[in-house]
Amino acid sequence: MKMRNPRVGAIAGLAGVLVLAALAAAQNTAQNTAQNNAPRSPWKYYPADRATGDGGPAPKRDLSGTWAGPASGSGAPRQKGEVVPPLTDLGKQLFARNKPLGKYSPGGTNDPHSRYCDPFGFPQNMTQEIRGMTIATTPTRTFLLLQYMDLWREIWTDGRALPAVVGGRSKDAHDPKYNGYSIGRWEDDSTFVVETTGLAPETWATKSGYPHTVEARVVERFHRSTHNDLSLNITMTDPKLYTQPFFLGEVYFRWIPNQQVDDFTCIPSEQQLYLKEMGDPAGSDPDAATQGGRGGRP
Amino acid sequence: MKTKLLMLVVLVAGLAASVRPSFAHHGAAAFDMSKPVVLKNATVTEFLWINPHPLIKADYKDEKGEVQHWTMEMGSTISAQLIGWTRTTLAYGDVVTLYVWQAKTKLPVGRFNKVEFSDGTVMRDTQTGADDGGRADTDVRQ
Repeated sequence: MKMRNPRVGAIAGLAGVLVLAALAAAQNTAQNTAQNNAPRSPWKYYPADRATGDGGPAPKRDLSGTWAGPASGSGAPRQKGEVVPPLTDLGKQLFARNKPLGKYSPGGTNDPHSRYCDPFGFPQNMTQEIRGMTIATTPTRTFLLLQYMDLWREIWTDGRALPAVVGGRSKDAHDPKYNGYSIGRWEDDSTFVVETTGLAPETWATKSGYPHTVEARVVERFHRSTHNDLSLNITMTDPKLYTQPFFLGEVYFRWIPNQQVDDFTCIPSEQQLYLKEMGDPAGSDPDAATQGGRGGRP
Repeated sequence: MKTKLLMLVVLVAGLAASVRPSFAHHGAAAFDMSKPVVLKNATVTEFLWINPHPLIKADYKDEKGEVQHWTMEMGSTISAQLIGWTRTTLAYGDVVTLYVWQAKTKLPVGRFNKVEFSDGTVMRDTQTGADDGGRADTDVRQ
């Protein structure tokens, strides 16, 4: 049969795609319904128990609760990836030393987390494996309790300033920390802004191997647009290494109905077993085109 | 005619983009993703429910009657459980058919694709479980 009108063809093709999508959605719905009808424990995370809609307006100046991030099965939108600015000469030198997982595979990477479960450190721990997070608020501090690696960050809200000197030889210098030093303030009733500095210099800013210095300044903007929706936008300024601010990404979270998350951690003994049995024998082929991901972790 | 050709190009490009294999933890550079190796009637010797990746270890007798000791990784525990895996999905002594993307080193290690059980049930990897090496967990990964 000859298709005389291309529009008719396009409409027929679109209809076919819609029918297939509807069939897939029906199958998913059936699976979710089966899970939804199963007995429930208040101690367990159920990925199919997604928050419904937006849940109404966001409470004012309150992020408290347990949130599901990307790849958690919660329906949180996919995060926006990093946008790398031009590097300084020093930045290029430091970046060249790092062999990210995405390019070098487990057998060839020197990513300290991928080889030894060393801490991601901030800010990488807010863009990698950020599938679950609890936010707890006290009168003077806000705590971020991250599912991955069972760690916490503390953000002071008592009006103090960030430490003026971190690292170096000065007697009044503060030690760099894996999560740095953080202060937070409400910009408006739904936007909480966090500033951080004093980062442990041995950690990578990104999974793709981009470095940071101790003096890097990171600004996070947590925006709770509805009861069930939270976004996190992260930008780093580190003029020793980058000529412009480094957009590290935007991560989206959804409210978890029963406020539970699973265990998820990197265990050094398991990591060593994995590398010995699998990662190292599989080798490394950095010249091959990297497939998927953003340079390199679920 | 030009319009039809354009539609065809757009359709093919869209399909190609939608089936592109992807890894979330690490790239697939170390593996030959062109065609999975099929280990028919392999015997599971160990199922390690560990991070960063669970490991399936199995013995496979090749056509010469020699036993190969295979190890293959799959998606992380927290991802795999979203599509039904548990630490007891496989157990010592299970006889199954395993599909694996072998490492380019040609050693008997690779990235798990899927497993066929004796009753016909199929379970897949999260990230490379589709028959073309693409993701099999797209329904639940977000």
